[in-house]
Amino acid sequence: MGYFERALLAAVVIGAGAGFVGALVVLRRRTFFAQALTHGTYPGAVAAAALGVSVPAGAAAASVILVAVMAGIARIRQQGAQVAAGIVLTGGFAAGALLQAMIPGLPVQAESLLVGSILTVSDADIALAAAVALIAFIAVAFVGKEIAFSTFDPAGFRAAGYREWPVDLLVLALTAATVVSALPAVGAILAIALIAAPAAGARLVVGSFRGVLLAAPVIGAASGVIGVLASRAYAVAAGPAIALAATAFFLLALGISKVRGLPWKRVDIPVETAEDARIA
Amino acid sequence: MSLTDALFAAFSIPFMGRALLVMLVLAVVAGVVGVLVNLRGLEFISDGLTHAVFPGLAIGLVVGGTAGLVPGATIAALAGAVALTWLDRAGITADAAIAIVLTATFSIGVIVVSKSDDYTGALEALLFGRVLTIPPGEVVPLVVVSLIALAATAVTLKQQLFRAFDARGSRAAGNSPLTLDLVLNASIALVVVAAASTIGTLLVLALLIVPGAVARLTTRRLWWLFPIAALFAAVGSWLGLAAGFALSVGAGVDLPAGATIVGVFVVGYALVLLGSFAAGRIRAGLDTRPPSSGATRPTVVPSSGAPTRSAVGAAGEGR
Repeated sequence: MGYFERALLAAVVIGAGAGFVGALVVLRRRTFFAQALTHGTYPGAVAAAALGVSVPAGAAAASVILVAVMAGIARIRQQGAQVAAGIVLTGGFAAGALLQAMIPGLPVQAESLLVGSILTVSDADIALAAAVALIAFIAVAFVGKEIAFSTFDPAGFRAAGYREWPVDLLVLALTAATVVSALPAVGAILAIALIAAPAAGARLVVGSFRGVLLAAPVIGAASGVIGVLASRAYAVAAGPAIALAATAFFLLALGISKVRGLPWKRVDIPVETAEDARIA
Repeated sequence: MSLTDALFAAFSIPFMGRALLVMLVLAVVAGVVGVLVNLRGLEFISDGLTHAVFPGLAIGLVVGGTAGLVPGATIAALAGAVALTWLDRAGITADAAIAIVLTATFSIGVIVVSKSDDYTGALEALLFGRVLTIPPGEVVPLVVVSLIALAATAVTLKQQLFRAFDARGSRAAGNSPLTLDLVLNASIALVVVAAASTIGTLLVLALLIVPGAVARLTTRRLWWLFPIAALFAAVGSWLGLAAGFALSVGAGVDLPAGATIVGVFVVGYALVLLGSFAAGRIRAGLDTRPPSSGATRPTVVPSSGAPTRSAVGAAGEGR
């Protein structure tokens, strides 16, 4: 298998996995949180590269710490979740840049961690992404009903006697795992595009939870393939091309939903005076 | 090198002095705007703007060299502010839309940079800033941009606060929400412009978020939020520059100045967080009265004082 075919395979696997988990992230409105995770894992990746252990492992370890820090800050009354995400995000980036400056001769270059390099993914990276996607799929297959319930009606979910933290924790873990597995392809900055754009686009044209869960991975995989092909055709970096392809799908979905929303069929506006209503 | 050398004498070197001047102006402006960002919960929009500025910087660099940075970034930032204000008002699930806008603009920027000759160097300079190599001719534009942002915020400050705490009341009182949002987002965008060419697009967010968050932790009085945020930002920038200088010259570790400043900000935030947590514990230990009586103490919260974050959020949803 040549490097280009491997890149295409990686694009399909990572795009589908990120799209699938992204559906949960977008529907549960945790996009900023996922964004903070993508940025915050950067120092973990740098540290792992410096220590010579695998980059995904370092990023995963960093994400566990970050989730704990964010959860802690978010519980403080004057602070809240957005502040927590923002601080973790910039702090993570600064820490990564500082680490990189302090460790000369790092084998990995900064911009390949930041914007990704899908043409150099290894078989292990693809296997990791496939495993994450499979685990996400199995999790949703088994507890999808509970996830949907807690997503769309948190109060009802609690009232029905369920506890919220297991579902939250599951989605968090899936998000972090997806972010980590998407890093080789699209990098720390652009990973959020593969997570948010397919799901947000799918949500605009598909009306059901199950539909979004099915459509988002397809859009994600298609964005990946189109991005890699465009990257070869126009000689641009692959990560940004993938992100732009995902954005194009979102804009397409936005256009479709706007066109659909136009009043094609003219319906008479029911005119009823108070007088009519009283008589009828 | 002694401590005073790093803290004071270092800034008599021209490039350090310029960096300090720009950072202090930025710190004051970012502190004031940052408090509004915090009160309105606009952190993610700010993040979107920091990324939206990136293609402007990149295109400006390609078209006009270093002199094109500030004009390019200003155009991109104002366009981004209008786009994000519109997206916010159109009611498209805000955070996903912001994420898409920011990655799309960022991708365009990366592609533009990747087409230029010095890919790696240019990208790193744009991402992590070059506060120590600001040319003397660029100091004035940066200060002017910051001061415009400060003026726009200061003129509408009262209305902005009204809107932050009581969105419906503000509208009923005749303030246009669209105008206020545009002014605030444009001010954030201008801060981002000024800061992006100094500490880098990726680290601007710290300048906007951390001082406001620290101010919220330290005081509950509304009008104290602004000076505290500005002071924290100014001291953090000063210490950050000094620490970067001391480590680079004294210890021979070549630290990027922008990242060092942000590192000092985050460490400062962590200290304040721990301090306020400890103070809260001590106060809880001394205060044996039930919490309900504590909540009604009139001196703690003035009637216009800072409500909890959730209250602000609830008011925001009513738009």
